Amino acid sequence: MDSNKKYWKGLEELNKTPEFVEKNKHEFAEPIPIEEVLTGGGLGGKTPRRDFLKALGFGVGAVTLAACQKVPVHKSIPYLIKPEEVTPGVANYYASTFEGHAILVKTREGRPIKIEGNPHDLLSKGGLSGQAQASVLDLYDVNRLKNSMRDGGDYGWGQTDGFIKSELAAIKAGGKKIRIVSSTITSPSTLAVIADFITQFPTTKHVAYDAVSYTGIIQANQNSFNKAVLPHYYFDKADVIVSFGADFLGTWISPAEFIRQYVQNRNNKSLQNKKMSRHIQFETGMSVTGTNADVRIPIKPSEEGLALVALYNAISGTTLPGTKPLKNNIADKAIAIVAKELVAAKGKALVVAGSNDVATQVLVNAINSQLGSYGTTIDLDNPSLQYSGNDAGLVEFVNEMKRGEVDAVFFLNANPVYDYYNSKDVTDGLKKVRLKVSFSDHADETASACNIIAPNHYYLESWGDDNAIEGYYTILQPTINPVYDTRQAEHSLLIWSENPVKDYYTYVRKNWDANLLAKGGLSGQSGWETLLQTGFVKAAENPKGTYTFGRDLNAVAQTILDHSDLLADGKVELQLYQTVAMRDGKKANNPWLQELPDPVSKVTWDNFAAVSPTDMKNWGYEDGDVVKIDGNNYSITLPVLSQPGQTQGTISVAVGYGRTLAGPVGDNVGKNAFPFHSLRNGTFQTTATVSLTKTGDNSPLSQTQTHHSIEGRNSIIKEATFTEYLKNPAARTGKGKDHKDYNENNLFWQDYDHPQYNWVMAIDLNACTGCGACVVACSAENNVPVVGKAEVGRRREMHWIRIDRYYSFDDNGQGGVTKEKEIARLEDLDHVRVVYQPMLCQHCDHAPCETVCPVLATVHSSEGLNHMAYNRCVGTRYCANNCPYKVRRFNWFNYWNDARFENYLQNDHTLLVLNPDVVTRFRGVMEKCSMCIQRIQAGKLKAKIEKRAVRDGDIKVACQQTCPANAIVFGNANDPNSEVSKALASERTYYVLEELGVQPGIGYQVKIRNISETEA
Amino acid sequence: MRSFSLIFKQFSRSVLLIAGFAFLGSSAYAQGDATKGEAIFKANCTTCHKIDIRLIGPALGPTVTSDTDDKWLTKWIENNQALIAAHDKKALDIYNQYAQANMTVFTQLSDGDVANILSYVRTAWKTQQTAAAKPGASGPAAETGPSDLVIYALIGVIILAFIIILVLNKVVITLERLLEKNQGLFIEEVAVEKVAVDRFAFARKLAKNKKFVFFTLLCGTLALGSWTWITMWNTNVHQGYQPVQPIKFPHDLHAGAMKIDCQYCHSGAYKSKNASIPSLNVCMNCHKTIDRTLNSKTASPEIKKIYDALGYDPQTQKYDSTKTRPMQWIRIHNLPDFAYFNHSQHVKVAKLRCQTCHGPIETMKEVYQYSPLTMKWCVQCHKRTNVDFKGNAYYTKMEAVHNLIKEGKPVTAAMMGGIECGKCHY
Repeated sequence: MDSNKKYWKGLEELNKTPEFVEKNKHEFAEPIPIEEVLTGGGLGGKTPRRDFLKALGFGVGAVTLAACQKVPVHKSIPYLIKPEEVTPGVANYYASTFEGHAILVKTREGRPIKIEGNPHDLLSKGGLSGQAQASVLDLYDVNRLKNSMRDGGDYGWGQTDGFIKSELAAIKAGGKKIRIVSSTITSPSTLAVIADFITQFPTTKHVAYDAVSYTGIIQANQNSFNKAVLPHYYFDKADVIVSFGADFLGTWISPAEFIRQYVQNRNNKSLQNKKMSRHIQFETGMSVTGTNADVRIPIKPSEEGLALVALYNAISGTTLPGTKPLKNNIADKAIAIVAKELVAAKGKALVVAGSNDVATQVLVNAINSQLGSYGTTIDLDNPSLQYSGNDAGLVEFVNEMKRGEVDAVFFLNANPVYDYYNSKDVTDGLKKVRLKVSFSDHADETASACNIIAPNHYYLESWGDDNAIEGYYTILQPTINPVYDTRQAEHSLLIWSENPVKDYYTYVRKNWDANLLAKGGLSGQSGWETLLQTGFVKAAENPKGTYTFGRDLNAVAQTILDHSDLLADGKVELQLYQTVAMRDGKKANNPWLQELPDPVSKVTWDNFAAVSPTDMKNWGYEDGDVVKIDGNNYSITLPVLSQPGQTQGTISVAVGYGRTLAGPVGDNVGKNAFPFHSLRNGTFQTTATVSLTKTGDNSPLSQTQTHHSIEGRNSIIKEATFTEYLKNPAARTGKGKDHKDYNENNLFWQDYDHPQYNWVMAIDLNACTGCGACVVACSAENNVPVVGKAEVGRRREMHWIRIDRYYSFDDNGQGGVTKEKEIARLEDLDHVRVVYQPMLCQHCDHAPCETVCPVLATVHSSEGLNHMAYNRCVGTRYCANNCPYKVRRFNWFNYWNDARFENYLQNDHTLLVLNPDVVTRFRGVMEKCSMCIQRIQAGKLKAKIEKRAVRDGDIKVACQQTCPANAIVFGNANDPNSEVSKALASERTYYVLEELGVQPGIGYQVKIRNISETEA
Repeated sequence: MRSFSLIFKQFSRSVLLIAGFAFLGSSAYAQGDATKGEAIFKANCTTCHKIDIRLIGPALGPTVTSDTDDKWLTKWIENNQALIAAHDKKALDIYNQYAQANMTVFTQLSDGDVANILSYVRTAWKTQQTAAAKPGASGPAAETGPSDLVIYALIGVIILAFIIILVLNKVVITLERLLEKNQGLFIEEVAVEKVAVDRFAFARKLAKNKKFVFFTLLCGTLALGSWTWITMWNTNVHQGYQPVQPIKFPHDLHAGAMKIDCQYCHSGAYKSKNASIPSLNVCMNCHKTIDRTLNSKTASPEIKKIYDALGYDPQTQKYDSTKTRPMQWIRIHNLPDFAYFNHSQHVKVAKLRCQTCHGPIETMKEVYQYSPLTMKWCVQCHKRTNVDFKGNAYYTKMEAVHNLIKEGKPVTAAMMGGIECGKCHY
């Protein structure tokens, strides 16, 4: 029983546009410039025999001369005095922290080259986001400030200190206000330093704000339960999850942690226990979370509040005043079903909302209280400290500046000139401030408006600590000497406030000795050393109290309804969101993140306006048409993108783009959408009403999406419902009585023995959330070049692993493709399902690429791997043409030494991030996933040296290691007890394009969707 | 050559010493046995002391010779800490003079041992002084060996002699000619011209011989072709590459004569892909005390380069980190980037000797590339070398391999997948 559901990769393919059909006929989807060359002046003109001979002679001579250059003399420069712990060629790992996650920093010869999760990390158990993986590259950013600056010129640290101290003394005497503006600080020691600073200068106040704010939730908890905290959510304890626009698998609060929790009830292990959670998502734009949901209901931002009120009514059995029926029929029906399911799962249910509106979040609290979520799926007593910013605090600070009450301001990891909704207010206000200091390590938008920039160390150069969740304390330790003449911000603050402790290391140490070590049962020097090795301490959890919502909801409901009315004024509703790669835009100068395709839209290097396909048609837009978006006294022009699943009458625009002073990589990539925010009831709202006007321009987006057509093959992606799975675990895998053995007609290929190992991989499609962390991890591990927007547009991105996104119609479990004609299909485009499929070299046992290589550059190994010898490759690209999975990448340029790519990875500093165990590839050769063969070889060698067999789990490939969902399992299939053998033995396992008989080495497990009970 | 002079030096030195002992045998204060003393001295004292110059501790020759208070010296040598603790003035002076560096306590030495040491030191110092005072004596002259000046002078003399011979020869020829001219004999030159014409004609005759022309052209083409082929085949093969290094580090002395284990300096070979060039602090383990070649009067300029690079002042024995500069060795063994090589796999796991690839390194005065380092060379070895699976539990689980082993058949690296592309190219 093969799956007969129709999948498509892009709308072009679904609609079979003439261009697409035309393109598809060609061997290469992208045009090849060969005809240009042939018809151009070069070869088109007649070449007389003499000229030909002259050219030939000159060519031969030139080549001979060029070849006669002396072999360069290589120098080997050893350490003068070698640090004891460094052995050249052997990596050292140091425990540190990235955004609250305990991590391990891999260093080679004293330079960090890779970030790896700490397997004991409380949050994600060794999984890491793409942001964390990419963070190592920023260390070597040549655009970081190289010393302290005053008014744009270099200014020594001594002078800076003198200047600031004298200014502060004068300001203290004057008695005017001093402000330290930062994004949320989770480091206990940094907070202590700021507290000490405030003691020294009592007019100081610390203003914490987050560019993408969670004030709504914090305030709501203050109102509801008198606890102004961001709760710690447990998606693993919830059987039914309902999310209203909260992208908790992509960007919301702590995505890597939530992915781990979420997948625990949906992975292989859980399914084998016949258990799977149910997840219903109501949202406007297509988010990663929405694509993973069992049921996704598109709603407008204006309908969100109404839907929540309806849900509350349905659950509590009351009717809040002012309740209006939803205009959206499907959503209305869905709410009734969802309410029933939630009530049935009482105590194991969780409702979350992404809104930053206090009233909305109070209503969500009331719903969760009704469902008994507090103490089970929501923990208010051990809250998350990851975001504690207060929107009102920032607004008040800007007003203070405008009134001229502020004499000094310090910006720490904050960039309000870029991300405040009214950036002019900030720049105007700053003009009235006497002393403006930024700790930014880039001359960013805010830092450029300051008189002093005292650049901070990068986190890999710093001492520090972190406290992401109440009771979970992690440590930061430097892994490299400061690359530039920077100084840690805390150190600067200590000096400026004449603190008796002069350096920050001593300060952190004292703080831990006095307060924190004891929480983990450690003490003294040995305790500190233990901490530096383990990376964290965990205090005992606070006892969980009981929380019952007891507030009157009438006023709350009224506020929500008013807001809805305001949004639903007939114009287009705008939803602002963060992309998984770029988040709030602070890391915009990171080329790995810019080139990481957005999981859903597969767009790189840009933000855009996502428009529903129906609206595209109604409004007469084509993909890439540039429109002017006008609203909230601000306007930008952006290309539009037809995005199935986008709610009709809405557009979604990502924030975090449009930086102007981020650095050469991030500058002017996309447009800044932060100013569309508005302040309402004390918090920033991420929705607005806008009007759209076509500008007439067309600016094509660089997508990695429609590169490769699936050519109507239905054995690529397989999906079953949970009901089907329960009846037959092998449902829709294609296995069964009539399952053909495609390997019997094996005419072409010899069989290979795998006497020692057979390295294979299992990928659980039900665990993969499509977040893309593996893509960045792979780039970091395997020196994959960044090619830039134009080259991605030419479909020449180099990622060895990509995450294919397949759409299918949301047929509500009835099977089959839509019956209706064109219009109906467009309507259905609002209700699409998405399956993600990590696609990488399948290391086929009967590899088609191997048989066509004329120079034997790609050959099979006795360990089941498909080897690629770059030095042997002559670049015929036959292998790429013959690869049914299209996973081979061709080096069109010498990306490591070509001026056209100079912003990305090839200056002297960023080259330091390269993995020395993997060669960089030259122009004209093919490359592809090697299954991290350098790690396999290193693992085997380690076993040989230790005189033992290779243990299962010894060798982890980069994508597997970083996957927060543990969707990827790698190992030796010759060992029947290995994890991968067990995973592949799952009934759900199928092989992509099995009918070709290529015997792929990677088995996928069928995606299961829990839609047994949906009647909608 | 180097080892010859070394042996010679050592030999002459011992001869000299024995002679010295015989001469000074009845000396006034030599109560101990100098020969026994030498052994004890070499076993215990040479780390910090030399007879003639200051090392970590004072130069013992002059110090002990001028100080005849043997009782105090014995106390000092056996337990200097006790003397310092007792605030002995002399002891404190020395202690402070040498930057309060603690001298090792030698309580295991008996008074007799100390007497032997003192006897040896005084004798040896006296011998050295005597030798220095008589530069004409056969011993010391031989000791220094032929100096550079002597060699240059010798070469100069030879060249001069050669020139003289040439000039004389020319004079003789001129004189003979003159003689012949005077006798009126001119026929000879005409005869020469005739011979030349004949030769030319012969060449022309040969050029007309088609067989010969064909043969010559064939030979020429073959020679040129094979030369081209060989040249191209060996492009970028640098076998025998022997660059001049910034320090003339003699492997023959360290690894050969001194028999220092390779891994003492190249410690990475056991645990890393890089054998690693030792950092200079490894050199200083020994060269903090050894600043010259054996019996040389002056510090070696090559060893001084280590000090300079480290900013080390041998007088004050202090490091100045501001004066450091990197030591830029010239890399001899260059594998291309696309070839991955791991030393520990070969040295630790396969237990290969360094010499297998690096050649007779212990005889190389300056290192050169011994092996071609071509892929052919790698693959050949992988095909021929049997895997050393004994005692390594890594191999026990591999059934297929295990069966071969049980059958008593050798298993080569190639059979373990050692010549697959991905073993080295990734």
